[in-house]
Amino acid sequence: MADATVERQQLSGEAIKVVSFRLGSEEYGVDIGQVQEIIRLVAITHVPRAPRFMEGVINLRGQLIPIIDLRTRFGMRRTDSTKQTRIIVTEIGSKKVGIVVDSVSEVLDIPVENVEDAPEMIAGVGTEYIQGVGKMNDRLIIMLDLTMVISENEKSQLASIDAVVPT
Amino acid sequence: MADDLFDKQEFVSYFRDESDELLQQIDGDLLKLEESVGEGHADPEIINSLFRALHTVKGSSGMLGFSDVQNLAHKLENLCDLLRKERMPLSESIVDILFGGRDFLTQLIEVAINGGDLPDDLSAYTAQLDQSVAVYEQTSHVIEGTASGAASFEAVATTGTASKSAQDLAAFEAEVERLLEAASAKKAEEASAVAAVAPVSDPVVATVVAPVEMIGEPAINVQQPEKVAAEKATAEKGPAQKRTSLNQTIRVDIDRLDTLLNLVGELVINRTRISDIATTLERLVSDRALEASSGLVGPLAKDLADSSALLARTTNEIQESIMKVRMVPIGQVFDRFPRLVRDVAKARGKEVQLEISGAETDLDKTIVDEVGEPLMHLLRNCVDHGIETPDFREKHGKPRAGTIALNAYHEGNQIIIEVSDDGGGIDLERVRARGINQALIGPDDRLSDRELIELIFTPGFSTAEVISDVSGRGVGMDVVKKNITRLKGVFDVDSISGSGTKFTIKLPLTLAIIQALLVRVVDELYAIPLDSVIESQRVEMTDVRTVHGNEVITLRGQVVPLVRIAEFFELGGKRDPEKVMIVIVGLGGRQVGLVVDSFQGEQEIVIKPLSDVVGRIAGISGATILGNGSISLIIDVHSLVSEAYTGGKATRAEYSGV
Repeated sequence: MADATVERQQLSGEAIKVVSFRLGSEEYGVDIGQVQEIIRLVAITHVPRAPRFMEGVINLRGQLIPIIDLRTRFGMRRTDSTKQTRIIVTEIGSKKVGIVVDSVSEVLDIPVENVEDAPEMIAGVGTEYIQGVGKMNDRLIIMLDLTMVISENEKSQLASIDAVVPT
Repeated sequence: MADDLFDKQEFVSYFRDESDELLQQIDGDLLKLEESVGEGHADPEIINSLFRALHTVKGSSGMLGFSDVQNLAHKLENLCDLLRKERMPLSESIVDILFGGRDFLTQLIEVAINGGDLPDDLSAYTAQLDQSVAVYEQTSHVIEGTASGAASFEAVATTGTASKSAQDLAAFEAEVERLLEAASAKKAEEASAVAAVAPVSDPVVATVVAPVEMIGEPAINVQQPEKVAAEKATAEKGPAQKRTSLNQTIRVDIDRLDTLLNLVGELVINRTRISDIATTLERLVSDRALEASSGLVGPLAKDLADSSALLARTTNEIQESIMKVRMVPIGQVFDRFPRLVRDVAKARGKEVQLEISGAETDLDKTIVDEVGEPLMHLLRNCVDHGIETPDFREKHGKPRAGTIALNAYHEGNQIIIEVSDDGGGIDLERVRARGINQALIGPDDRLSDRELIELIFTPGFSTAEVISDVSGRGVGMDVVKKNITRLKGVFDVDSISGSGTKFTIKLPLTLAIIQALLVRVVDELYAIPLDSVIESQRVEMTDVRTVHGNEVITLRGQVVPLVRIAEFFELGGKRDPEKVMIVIVGLGGRQVGLVVDSFQGEQEIVIKPLSDVVGRIAGISGATILGNGSISLIIDVHSLVSEAYTGGKATRAEYSGV
């Protein structure tokens, strides 16, 4: 949270470039710096006994990357994929991770002063990944920090993986 | 000159590699030397090889300023020099001194590189060494003093000439010319200056320079020409002398090879993809699905098929070449064993001969690095537990010296390493008694011989009455088995009471690319490494029976337990009420049936580690990308089966193998 505030102060007077996407009826935004690429949904290979937050793995041009379904993550009802379903490829702790979302809409410039801190509006725990809420005309865009989408604990599960010698 | 003109760290690491190799070579030479103790003098070739190795150690350590190493190497070199000149008879005590010196060299190199204290007993040792050298050096000088410098140079020239090929001859003569000139010009001066001018990097030049170094003194080494000749001879012999062929090899960081191998892996995937496309296209053409344009597409499809076949061939060759680059002879590991066996045998008062064959058998560098330790444990075990005492052997009509055979050879895509001894075999009754004693089995358990042998792989198990520093602490056999299993190898023991034990290790040649059987389970494809697959079968449910709640089938009289992969991985899906598709996999002589939904054929796959993507998962060893871009998980047969059966699903009687 502190980081986000600092970041916003640095950007003061400017706009934040945000990739907006939809999840159900809500609209979310991610700082464009966190997005490596956006790809169409491809076949996700289920990995038995993988950590719970992991949907499976995909083949991204010969590289295997783990996939997290944001609907599952946010406790939303799962729906069948559509033609609009996308995977946002981001990096969490130097590891590529794919995030499944319902659809990706556009890249927005949200003026910094239009972004409000989240705690004023959203109470509760487990919302570290919500950086704030941006207002664009009559749209409300929930600003996400994708690197916080998985918990510290889960992250360490990802990180500890580094130490494992491939067999 | 600036201090950091060269990267010292890099030199140190090179020095470490080089000295490891040399020390190993010294070991081998010393062992050969020990064999010829009876004859009173040694094969000059062995002494020369020893001398050269020590000389190189001396030179390299001197360059890095490791003066302790340099001094000791120098002293040992002196000793070898005396042996070489036959100024000193070869005796067991001298060989022991040399062995001792070799061990101190190892320690000193370690200290020089990593810091630490010099060994306490070093000064006592060097005193002993100095003394032995001093006694003979006196006589040596007296005798050598009689030889005239010019005469011996004649000798260098003639002896050298006689054994040279024409090409070497010219170079050699030119060298002698130059040296003669230098010698006469500088006779009165310090000869060391000449040595400094000469390019010392070339081994031949270096040895020819050596006599010149001595010109300052009246004594000239008469034996020297023989040494030069011998060196030339060994150089022509090729691989027998590793050092002389070193000029044609380069050291490559294994990481670079790994990167290259990964890239080739990608190439293999794409190759498979292209041939898939070509096949599809050809089928479409022959099915006349593309009727309208088949006149054009037909030849194109054929071209594509042809060039994809060519691509496949080239890719295969590249892949094989890179694999071969990573391959090193297993002799690299074997080389250190004669010394080990000698030391252990000596310590335990046994006489043991180690016979090595197949040292030239190649396998992947990573596996070579890993296989040394388990083999070491096995050999120690053979000497300590396997081979009986000389007296005992004699009494039972065996030769006093026991024989341990270490043999390696290729079999298909595997390397087989056998360690066998002609000792007493595994005493099964004692194993049983120990097992009961250590509460591993009950007093009334009925175990087959095989199951009893399996007991020795239990952590903490030992039949040794006395705990020695060699073995008997109960670590060893379980470690051996664990290491081999980790390398995807299979470990087997055969033992005949009274006549010996044979351990067989089967290892894959490489860990990166394997043949696999693809199977479908629910809606995913899984790959089962083909080396563990024995057969695949369709079995009617009426033939599936249960023992203790576990499904089994009977296959050629053997009861084979079944593991349903869908249920093991909790993939859902329904059981087929009529039949099961079974892949029989072998695990160290035992069989287990994996139940799948259907078989999808065999394929060569490139293993991609999954552990750095989703963490380590029991039952899955990695993933691979198939020709169509989809991912298939690779089943880790060992961990899957062992977990399925330690999960309380099976009792010991049904399955105790893993």
